[in-house]
Amino acid sequence: MNLNPFWSMSTNTGRKRSDSEEQSVQQIAEQQQRASPSRPSFGKKQLPTIPKNTAPITKPASPATTTQSINGTHASYGPFYLEYSLLAEFTLVIKQKLPGIYVQPSYKSALMWFGVIFIRHGLYQDGVFKFTVYIPDNYPDGECPRVVFDIPVFHPLVDPVSGELDVRRAFTKWRRNHNHIWQVLMYARTVFYKINTMEPLNPEAAVLYDKDVQLFKSKVVESVKLCNSHLFDQPKIDDPYAISFSPWNPAVHDEAKERMFTHKRRPEDHHKGLQVSGLSWVKPGSTQPFSKDENSQQS
Amino acid sequence: MVVICTIFLINLRPCCTQTPVVEELTYPLSSHTALWNWSHQVSSDDPPLYPHLQWFNPHPHLVTMMMASMVANGNRDGQALVLTGVDPETCMIVFKNHWAQVVKILEKHDPLRTTNHLVSGLGSIGLSGSHVRFGGPVPGDEASAVQNYVEHMLFLLMEEDAGQAGAMGPILEFVVMENVMERLFLWSLRRQFTDDMKLEQLKMYEMIVGQARQPLLHHKPVLRPLMMLLSSCSGTPTPRVEAELVLLLNQLCCVLAKDPSVLELFFHTSEDQGATNFLIFSLLIPFIHREGQVGQQARDALLLIMSLSAENQRVAQHIAENTYFCPVLATGLSGLYSSLPTKLEVSSEEWHCLHREDWLQMPALVQFLNSLEFCNAVIQVAHPSIRDQLVNYIYNGFLVPVLAPALHKLTLEEVMTTTAYLDLFLRSVSEPALLQTFLTFILLHRHENVHILDTLVSRVNTPFQLGTVSLALFRTLIGLYCEDVMLQLILRYLVPCNHMMLSQRRVVKERDCYSVSAAKILALTPSCCSPEHSPPPLRQLDSILWSKGNESSPHTGPMETEESCLEDGSGHSCIIGSEIYLDVSYLHYLYDARLGISSCIRACRVWSAPYDGEDPPPDEYQASALEEAGASRGRRAQMVNPKGAHPHPRPRPPCQTAGPAPMNQLELEWDDSYDAGPPANAETTAAERPAQPLAPEPPKHIQALRRTATMLVKGSYIEESDFQDDVMVYNLVAKKDVRDTLDGRRSSQETESKGSETESQLNDNGHGFADSSREVQEVPLSNGLSLPLQRATVEVGSDTERSKEVKENIADHNSKVQSPTATDIGDELVAQYEELIRTLGGGEVGAGTEGREPFQNPIVTPTEEDEMDFGSFSVDTPEVDKHAPSLFGTKLRSGSARSQPLPFTGPFVSVLLSRLENMLENSVHVNLLVTGILAQLAAYPQPLLRSFLLNTNMVFQPSVRSLYQVLASLKNQIEQLASTRKDFPELITSAQHCLLARESSLIGHDTKRGESRDCFPREAERMMKSSPPQLKTISMARTEVFATVLFTEFLKELAAIAQEHSILSHIPMEE
Repeated sequence: MNLNPFWSMSTNTGRKRSDSEEQSVQQIAEQQQRASPSRPSFGKKQLPTIPKNTAPITKPASPATTTQSINGTHASYGPFYLEYSLLAEFTLVIKQKLPGIYVQPSYKSALMWFGVIFIRHGLYQDGVFKFTVYIPDNYPDGECPRVVFDIPVFHPLVDPVSGELDVRRAFTKWRRNHNHIWQVLMYARTVFYKINTMEPLNPEAAVLYDKDVQLFKSKVVESVKLCNSHLFDQPKIDDPYAISFSPWNPAVHDEAKERMFTHKRRPEDHHKGLQVSGLSWVKPGSTQPFSKDENSQQS
Repeated sequence: MVVICTIFLINLRPCCTQTPVVEELTYPLSSHTALWNWSHQVSSDDPPLYPHLQWFNPHPHLVTMMMASMVANGNRDGQALVLTGVDPETCMIVFKNHWAQVVKILEKHDPLRTTNHLVSGLGSIGLSGSHVRFGGPVPGDEASAVQNYVEHMLFLLMEEDAGQAGAMGPILEFVVMENVMERLFLWSLRRQFTDDMKLEQLKMYEMIVGQARQPLLHHKPVLRPLMMLLSSCSGTPTPRVEAELVLLLNQLCCVLAKDPSVLELFFHTSEDQGATNFLIFSLLIPFIHREGQVGQQARDALLLIMSLSAENQRVAQHIAENTYFCPVLATGLSGLYSSLPTKLEVSSEEWHCLHREDWLQMPALVQFLNSLEFCNAVIQVAHPSIRDQLVNYIYNGFLVPVLAPALHKLTLEEVMTTTAYLDLFLRSVSEPALLQTFLTFILLHRHENVHILDTLVSRVNTPFQLGTVSLALFRTLIGLYCEDVMLQLILRYLVPCNHMMLSQRRVVKERDCYSVSAAKILALTPSCCSPEHSPPPLRQLDSILWSKGNESSPHTGPMETEESCLEDGSGHSCIIGSEIYLDVSYLHYLYDARLGISSCIRACRVWSAPYDGEDPPPDEYQASALEEAGASRGRRAQMVNPKGAHPHPRPRPPCQTAGPAPMNQLELEWDDSYDAGPPANAETTAAERPAQPLAPEPPKHIQALRRTATMLVKGSYIEESDFQDDVMVYNLVAKKDVRDTLDGRRSSQETESKGSETESQLNDNGHGFADSSREVQEVPLSNGLSLPLQRATVEVGSDTERSKEVKENIADHNSKVQSPTATDIGDELVAQYEELIRTLGGGEVGAGTEGREPFQNPIVTPTEEDEMDFGSFSVDTPEVDKHAPSLFGTKLRSGSARSQPLPFTGPFVSVLLSRLENMLENSVHVNLLVTGILAQLAAYPQPLLRSFLLNTNMVFQPSVRSLYQVLASLKNQIEQLASTRKDFPELITSAQHCLLARESSLIGHDTKRGESRDCFPREAERMMKSSPPQLKTISMARTEVFATVLFTEFLKELAAIAQEHSILSHIPMEE
């Protein structure tokens, strides 16, 4: 669940879950609930774990590096900026509390997010579609992220072969500061409620929707059924943080559900005897020190 | 009789030897009845002369044996004696028998022959403790016989179990009925009431109180004599008696703590004696500050009572109203403080605060800390009324009369020592109420009309250890996460948002999604330190494979991606991407930043406001802040009131008389900005001069400090008459410190000071035209030129957009000025300003005249240009809006005559930035402290603070210096330095070696002292703890090399904090 051990985002994703209404017996079960603390140092683009007093490793700089950093030292910090930009995007997604949408960055790359969307009404009602978000590595200056459904849903804007959703029509030019990944997710949801047949990726669906809604509907029902029948399949992408579904298992899920509904607060982890609780004697609304009423202090 | 004694001898053994006891017990039981009869006989009302007592007396050896047994196995070693298996009836018989013997002796020596009379007349005897003797002296053998009997009796009493349903056991009942204890006490009084007697009695009670199996103190016949005994000991006991007394009191308190119902009885008993005092408590008070075990026992006992008081209003009320507990405690602190050394032996130049190993070497300090800790504990457990009283006494009995003057002692060393003590006390105190007292003292108390806080802040700028120790004190203060502290130190200056352009207010809360600020900060890394140009052997560099991700397979579908990922799992070979060297130490900084920020966020949840530029509202605050400032901050008050209604500008250390002082004085930059009032001030003050010809004589401590400082700078060009206030002195001393290297710079600094002063004037006139027209003419415009030029050295070329904006603002402002009286002046001024800005925009025209190299653009690289697009983060606000601001506040536009306060971020920030600015001249440990404090501040989540320190895109008012500006100028200095020294890269490398060796030597050291409260999880902080010898031998020429290395690390630290803020400060809090 964690992007990286030292970022420890788990509570937030957990919280997001707990907000959801569990309308199905299915439960998102993570293959790996807890962040493995001892990960290989080099994932696909994994930052290494923090070495403790390791002997310095010196490698001659490769020519590629030197050319990259002509303009200053910050080139070598580029990965950090990217990682934090994506982390910021992720926290924005959490903040948005998009109805029926769940995402989780992959273990191996912050540039790949796994997601699932629950459609609660409309033509695609009861649909549960898994998807993957691919973010360009020159984010936020590149193209807009791509959204690819695991199973190509029958939809005018979804490529019937690759399952890719036509996101680009909504974000013709990806503008940093203005466009955010939650908007893409929002768009992916809207598509199922408000159907657009202009310049379709799936012309058949578009034509059917315009000419023969009944047939379109039955095709959609079929497609939803197909998707739901594959719900318990192994994730298409092998990743510890891939979203996978399993049938309701009281032994596992009851307790988890219980915990979600009782919304427990995270225990304050006191850190090394540092005084974590701050102090304040300022009366709310005042800007004078020691202005609180219960302050029986000389002043 | 013999038989009984045998029983005793056997049974007095500890319980481990009880097996033989049981066997032998059967033996004496045969004579049981006879014995009982005998004892009964004895206790009958026979005539007082008992000839058979003589018969008994010849057997003292038996008694002695028993005694020996008692002593050997006595309660002192914690081994309880157990009369296992002894039939209670037997015990009762023995008890009565012994009592009968005792009574005989007692009555023999009782002149009145009737106990009743005695008892009634006892109060005065007992309380006075005088030696009352009846008849002749008691023969020694009789006395010891009584003594022995009593010991046995008490032992039996102690060992008796309570009866059914909590009823008294038979022995206890007998004791109560016969008033045994009281009669015994009277007996001891009747004899010479020596220390030995007291000890005897105290030990007696100690034994039964500590070990009785049934509650004894509930019974008045037991309690009353105890109280009489205690009060008889209340004089000035000898050490032996003291020790015993305190031990008994301690035991009594333990009983009280276990069984608070006894408490009432203690009060009632006291009342019977005509006093409402809570004797146990009063007796303990004199031992509060005692050293050693007695003191510790007394304090423990008192603490038990304190926690009782929390539950019991009556106890609390009594202690608060009828005892001297709180005053004794507080004045005791003062007494102990006075015995502390007034000057510390400072081990090294690096020393800056009292660590545990330091103060453990100082017994006086240990004792003081013990008492302080006791106060802390009392405040923690006691009833609020006691707590409040104690806290008040500490404030008025220790802090104000003792610590405040001590903080203003006459020599630098003494002041430094006091500052170090204060820092230590703050670190030792944990209870919020006590901390509040200390903080109230620091933040609000005024010593000779100067806030303690202002004095402390002003001292940060002193060289020598006073400055460093003051820095350490502020590190402690900032580490408290206390809203009140942060408000007074910094936030109050930021809340009005005057330090930024009006348009920037909406930027305050913005989130730096793409690490733009971090990038800008890291871009200040000096070229000589960048990992690419000189890969430092010591920085932990790892190569990290950074996948190009999707780009590497741009047109693949999900299936292909899956494949590549699977391959990835098997090995990295398949990944097409560039290899980038990452500075792994940066990960440490990120990690530490995360810890620091998240604990700070947690801590600040109790704060009253988010300080985000909206709450507290800037505009409302402005007014209230000014009013407040009018009340407490003399000079700024005059800004509120342009007429200068304050007849006596209060002397305050940072500004005092500096207003009317000539401009050519040596002043550090921050003083000017703090002090610079509108010209009206000078005018007004000047006008008042006839009435008040001279500035008020500075406080004594300042005068003395001047003398010290004069001696310090002897030989320099400064005359004593130049000193105006202690800040001047501090600054002077600071100058002396750097004058060798900075001769050139000094003059420019002076010019700068003048510039900024003028700038203030400019600003002020720009703000409040109604001030006075004369002043405007007086503004030395030629001088004013130096202002923007100074600014240019920092900003020209780096931020042309900014100056453009300023220009727009001016124009904007110009068009809006409607006031006819002000228009001319305003126009002229704005024209001047525009002119200046044009010059500024045109390039570094004036930079040369400053004697400095044109500032090299440290930031902009063409590819990055768009990152500099400031103020355009949010989705919902169109960018255009942000670029159409008004330079001046709404109040001005509405034609208000009231002048805006001068944009200023407060003396603390100024002084801190000043010290940072001198980084290249500072020693390593000073730099570690300064950067450490800045990093501490940067970790605070309040958007006002965060945006001020870390948002590199914020546009501030021209008079406001930002952290980024200082860093940029430092980078420039370093680049210059590096270009003049060929061996710079090697020096850097060796400095890195040195610092890294130091750090690793400290990490081991650090783990050993994990309890140290001030350990902040940062590398630099760890480095600061102590120093390996090699650092001490650094030649002065190399400090700048070390500073360069630290500068680079500091940039990383700040960047990491900025990056973590972009995540942590925006995660929705669980609540």
